[in-house]
Amino acid sequence: MSECKLSVDYEQYESGVKIVDLLEELANKGESLQLESLIIGDWGGSYENDSSAIIEALVHLKDRFPQLRSLFIGDMSYEECEVSWINQSNLGPILSAYPELRSLTIKGSTGLSLDPAHHDKLEELTIICGGLGRDVLSSISEGSFKNLKKLELYLGVDDYGFNGSLEDVLPLIEPGKFPRLTYLGLKDSEIQDDIAVAVANAPIVDQLQTLDLSMGTLTDQGAEALILSEKIKKLDLLDLSYHYMSDDMVKRWEQSGLNVDISDQQDADDDDDYRYPSLTE
Amino acid sequence: MKSMIVIGNSGNRRTTGLQAARARLGLPPVVVLNYSDVLQGGASLGSIAHSLGQAADEPPLLRLDAPGEHFEVERELIALGAPDAATSESDERWHRYNKSLVQPVPARMAQGMQEFKGKLYHPSQWFRGYCRLLSQLDREARQLWPTPRWMNAPKDIAAMFDKRHTHEILSSAGLPVPRRLAPPEAIPDYDTLRDTMVHERTHRLFIKLANGSGACGVIAYQVNPVTGAESAVTTIAVDNFATRPPIFYNVKKLVNYKERHLIRQIINWLLGHGAHIEQWIPKASYWDRTFDIRQLVVAGKACHSIARASRTPITNLHLDSNRMSLTEIGLADDVQHTVRQCAEQTLAAFPSSTVAGIDVLLSSGSYRPYILDVNPFGDLLYHSHYEGYDPYEWEMRIASLPSTI
Repeated sequence: MSECKLSVDYEQYESGVKIVDLLEELANKGESLQLESLIIGDWGGSYENDSSAIIEALVHLKDRFPQLRSLFIGDMSYEECEVSWINQSNLGPILSAYPELRSLTIKGSTGLSLDPAHHDKLEELTIICGGLGRDVLSSISEGSFKNLKKLELYLGVDDYGFNGSLEDVLPLIEPGKFPRLTYLGLKDSEIQDDIAVAVANAPIVDQLQTLDLSMGTLTDQGAEALILSEKIKKLDLLDLSYHYMSDDMVKRWEQSGLNVDISDQQDADDDDDYRYPSLTE
Repeated sequence: MKSMIVIGNSGNRRTTGLQAARARLGLPPVVVLNYSDVLQGGASLGSIAHSLGQAADEPPLLRLDAPGEHFEVERELIALGAPDAATSESDERWHRYNKSLVQPVPARMAQGMQEFKGKLYHPSQWFRGYCRLLSQLDREARQLWPTPRWMNAPKDIAAMFDKRHTHEILSSAGLPVPRRLAPPEAIPDYDTLRDTMVHERTHRLFIKLANGSGACGVIAYQVNPVTGAESAVTTIAVDNFATRPPIFYNVKKLVNYKERHLIRQIINWLLGHGAHIEQWIPKASYWDRTFDIRQLVVAGKACHSIARASRTPITNLHLDSNRMSLTEIGLADDVQHTVRQCAEQTLAAFPSSTVAGIDVLLSSGSYRPYILDVNPFGDLLYHSHYEGYDPYEWEMRIASLPSTI
């Protein structure tokens, strides 16, 4: 697959390079006509400049990228910009402009909206962020993605933009919402237990191959609901990595015979205050 | 036989590692002059030289090693840095900044300090004491030998141990360094820092204790220009008390402070003891980690290197950081070559030094090198080999060749 990543690095940003110019440069090359995957990294001072200029340019240049199937907006490390500081914008116009798109990945939720949230062919939608707003959640649940196979949402925490509650998450798992969905990720959540309990016996699990509840604050409470569920037993993979389950619960999973990822157990009473001597070199 | 004197702390992993390396190479053991003995007057370069029975035309190799990880030595150095310590005016020659110390501790009081694990006692007074000691050792060596054979001259160590001075030396030499926010004296406190950040339109910085080592006293600091939110990632912690001054100390795990009153207190303390403030240049990444490189240079030639890959902005913290080879991390040959060249040029900016661990950052995207730090004692690298030798073996091998060190 032909893939290209565009970003404005430290030196380029200092010297005034604009991501939109890089995109136009790419669009003016013949190879843009064959490009299948485009990754937009740091667009230059992403902590102060939002992604709207790049979205406008992508919409404007849509005819130069007829083969584009995969798009990532905001692929940057914490060194470039803290995830919760990335300024996004309305990415809905991308969906309208690229009807052949199959995969959309978004990093950062500040200023993010998805309007209109409608795409007939999109198979994968991933939003990586520190906290997803309830307006984005409702756009997705009220929108239309009839071909979606993978939905992966980092729900995050209150401090970084998760202003919703379980009530805002539940519409996403209503029966019939995403008829072709096989991978559901509702992860990195501070209400991971509530989500686990709600999902454990939900009808949607019947159609899933993978349920991803990783990276959150899952404890024995949520795990208990999952381990007792008959529906969960039929999954190909249950991802619970990075969790706060007890050793006993970890053992129960190990003995369950299920394909479950229970790696990266967190220590609930982690002693943060361990001190170490200074001047070591 | 090639004799060698190490000024260090006997029995620690550095001295032990060096002795083991010499034994493997069939060299006689080094004679260790303990910092604590020098500081308490129990021994001196002269007394050691005398015991070696050296002829004046055959000077021993002299190595200064790290004074750290030894509370008694730390206490004595703070005492030696005290305003009332008995030193001569000429021993101030390498102490360029912080001429008037913040809350100085009298020598007697310093000598009575109790150990409190992790506590940052008095970094600026400690450094003044260390500069005085380096100056004294330099003078003594000149009296003993016409041309003392220092691996790293005391004057260079004083310069490398002050990040403000190092940055000036490297800038003047035309080497790539992250841009300094402002001259150190222009930023006395947090409020001035914030004003300068706005004025310079710089929102992300590293604030480093001028005389700190490794992760000690480093803050990765950023202010969100849109929301005004602050983030300070550091190992520094503070305990406040109702009836006595606060205590600043290191914690093993990085803390990300968001509260302005705490950030302000910690930054003000750091600036009081002297800090170097430079731009935070995004580091290149390897999977979900970003990395920088420790490149050792011995006698002008780059040798051992490791990449330190971390999920945190502070890569030299051992916790949460992977040590990898440059090949493992997938660095292209030409990039490795650039790193080596850059490190060699860096050591060349210190003409009286033959060993340093140079920390090199490669910027995210363009892989352009920037020098982050020069560590005079940066050769303690485990599991790292160059042409089959560990760092100490390599140094001793080079040193035993004619006219290299």
